[in-house]
Amino acid sequence: MTDTLIRIPTLTTERLTLRAPQASDFDVYAEFCASDRSRGVGGPYNREQSFARLTAIIGHWHLRGFGRWLVADRETDEPLGTVGPMAPTDWPEPEIAWTLFASAEGRGIAYEAALAARDYVYDVLNWPTVISCTVPDNHRSIALAKRMGAVQEPSFQHPTIGELLVWRHPAPGTAT
Amino acid sequence: MIPVLTTSRLTLRAPTPEDFPVFAEFYASDRSRHVGGPMTREQAWRALAKELGHWPLRGYGRWAVEITETGAFIGIIGLWNPLDWPEPEIGWDLMNGFEGHGYATEAAEAARAHAYDVLGWPTAISLVAVANDGSRKVAQRLGATRDGTFHHDHFGTMEIWRHPAPVDLSDGGMEAYA
Repeated sequence: MTDTLIRIPTLTTERLTLRAPQASDFDVYAEFCASDRSRGVGGPYNREQSFARLTAIIGHWHLRGFGRWLVADRETDEPLGTVGPMAPTDWPEPEIAWTLFASAEGRGIAYEAALAARDYVYDVLNWPTVISCTVPDNHRSIALAKRMGAVQEPSFQHPTIGELLVWRHPAPGTAT
Repeated sequence: MIPVLTTSRLTLRAPTPEDFPVFAEFYASDRSRHVGGPMTREQAWRALAKELGHWPLRGYGRWAVEITETGAFIGIIGLWNPLDWPEPEIGWDLMNGFEGHGYATEAAEAARAHAYDVLGWPTAISLVAVANDGSRKVAQRLGATRDGTFHHDHFGTMEIWRHPAPVDLSDGGMEAYA
């Protein structure tokens, strides 16, 4: 038996690095979790809960072989959000999820990162299809799903989060 | 990096997806009441992910323990320090049906040696829920002594058991406490 490394690949886009979350990201992540911006993902959360959530994001990679990256500014490494495929046991099917921290709003960063994540699940993981889920009142997130060409399907009723809108992305090879 | 440790009967290794059914069964059962359970399958899956993610954030964590001879997954044991903990601890959760063989003591001793000898911890505690008699016996077998109480919003009141310092273990080791 050999030592285990939790493998998280690094992707780069024009402006962004998608990399493994690390301890130095925690303060920015906890600030997001404590803010009203985290309502779309079940928040707000205190610092202790935020720490647990960050460990769960990392551990997801080892349990599933894929997961969410920490999106950082390619130049400064400033944490900007989390984006990537995720599939907890209570999800209707694997989705590409995106979360932006406050400082990253309004610059097309979630779009750029989510496109890289979608390319990854299609080209590297060879998924035939993928969805994204949004809560009904997260209008910015819904706008991003539409901008990516995703089409709405019947909602999913999550036992604790409530209604999740389901958006199906264009299949591999058909996205523009 | 999650290293592999071995003891006379046990292998301590990274948790895997294959451990999940046994892990979820433990957390669905009443035996998990001292460690934050019972919880749903979904909560248990996230709990297993948290065990793994603790490693890169802290540089240490808890191992999945298996019986080397059979490969049976019997517990989650190791070094645990979430943000709401008083200080880093050595924790042990035995999966259902594996109590009473000394496995927790054997694995925790290996975890403690890793904390002291590899990570250079100067001290270590273990937290024991006040009603968890089995866990308290493990702490006592490891030579730990009572050192106050810690109250956690979710886990309730826990006894703090402080382990012998590295220097106290180097001279005779476990035999000194037998």
